Amino acid sequence: MSGNGERFPRGQAAIVGIGCTEFSKDSGVSTFALATRAIRAAIADAGLEIGDIDGLCTYGTADSVSPNLLAQALGIQSLNYYVDQYLGGSVSMSVMGQATLAVSAGVADCVICYRAINGRSEIRKNGAGAGPARAPWDIQFKMPSGYMVPAQEMAMNARAHMLRYGTTSEDLGRIAVLSRTNALDNERAMMRKPITLDDYMASEWIAEPFHKLDCCLETDGAVAVVIVNAERARDLPHRPVLIQGAAWGGGISIANNGFDDLAESPARPIADRLFKSAGMSPQDIDFAEFYDCFTYPVLSQIEGYGFCKAGEVPGMLKDGAFDRATGTLPINTHGGLLSEGYIHGMNHVYEAVQQIRGDAAHRQVKKHDVALVTGQLGYVSGYSSATILRGA
Amino acid sequence: MAERLVKPMPDRDTVAYWQALADGKLVVTHCHDCGHWTWPPRPICSGCHGDNLALDEVKGTGEVYSWIVVHRSTTPDMMQYVPYCLALVRLDEQADIYIPGRLISDKEVHRGMRVRVVPERITDHLGDLAWTTEDVPA
Repeated sequence: MSGNGERFPRGQAAIVGIGCTEFSKDSGVSTFALATRAIRAAIADAGLEIGDIDGLCTYGTADSVSPNLLAQALGIQSLNYYVDQYLGGSVSMSVMGQATLAVSAGVADCVICYRAINGRSEIRKNGAGAGPARAPWDIQFKMPSGYMVPAQEMAMNARAHMLRYGTTSEDLGRIAVLSRTNALDNERAMMRKPITLDDYMASEWIAEPFHKLDCCLETDGAVAVVIVNAERARDLPHRPVLIQGAAWGGGISIANNGFDDLAESPARPIADRLFKSAGMSPQDIDFAEFYDCFTYPVLSQIEGYGFCKAGEVPGMLKDGAFDRATGTLPINTHGGLLSEGYIHGMNHVYEAVQQIRGDAAHRQVKKHDVALVTGQLGYVSGYSSATILRGA
Repeated sequence: MAERLVKPMPDRDTVAYWQALADGKLVVTHCHDCGHWTWPPRPICSGCHGDNLALDEVKGTGEVYSWIVVHRSTTPDMMQYVPYCLALVRLDEQADIYIPGRLISDKEVHRGMRVRVVPERITDHLGDLAWTTEDVPA
């Protein structure tokens, strides 16, 4: 049967190179420059040449360099495949799936997935500095009331979860503390000062029930990864990281008629298809990098991707189930968007590849063959996306 | 009429919705075949996929489903209200319609709190809405 994920080209493409720039508050350069630096690093890591590239995939909200400009700059005469997906973190893993389709179909041989962003020094996601503006599309129904930034939308859903399952601020705070703890020994991380649950509770309100420490960072930087077919990957320097499965699509937002409880995880509509595409179940996942623009989406995804029943995450957090060294499902091993940096989700792929290769130094998790890496939940755009990576 | 910097951007599907709010009415896309309500305004019925649709006035009442308290706003028009309550309201007409807006009330907010719409005129052709408790006279 088609359409349920079973015909995804499972494991037919692999990540063979990764590259990134410094993650900072002010890169001092353009997103164009950031992208070229990350791509150069990724191609070198893969043992390939710039001239091998024939596909470029990215996403963003008109805040980055597009594939055609990069192709010109890199001297790619025949760009065989590209994706320039408009939208945010919700589509961050859809580009991985799309690159896999292209490579497995032989439409392109060497595809770069990249994200370059000056999220702090140029275009901020919190709308700060926004002058007179008019709100287009579905945003027009939210923005005039000041319901316009993701923190507010996610906080609204977090409240719905609190009302239904008794989830507390402390539960969300444990996710913030876990992320920060994992960032402490990560040389890429922007935030390397420890925090406690008390620090979390004392941090200022942004959009109650979200404190400041529920919110991710704003970052300048870029990440690029190189994807080729699995056969070719075997001849390259690193352990190939196979794209075992991927799914992207329908989520939940207030503008989707038919959902009567926004405490439901928007991961649920793609979870079955994701695991079918990979031929796996949640029990097969060794560690996970969950899209964590805020704390609450992490909780919602653990439920929605089927690692436990709704309402069980707080107890598992208290029991240390997600701790990097000793947990049954280590999560956000680099500190995530909350504490490493906000490269719009692509930094999760970088970390997962390092872990699967066994190159994560002090951060290395014990079982590191299979990773779940996710994009943002559907609350804001209505899309979700995720991929499952497996070491060959 | 309130000066507003952030305004809706009406298109052919939504211009009548914003006009109605400017005229003091909340209207929702209503299917005259199956009775389903669709919000935001769309050119097809989400219930039966027909297009025998009209923007019909609703009672304008509902219940608070969820809410946040905005302490840090980046919307210029809203900064004056900080901290303010932003509520997601379920319309009485249909449970899966959630309409956000500022909640104007001194009372403590809770799920199920009865509210009614307060249309706000931005220009002659553009309106917006807020919510207040149902017991506040219109």
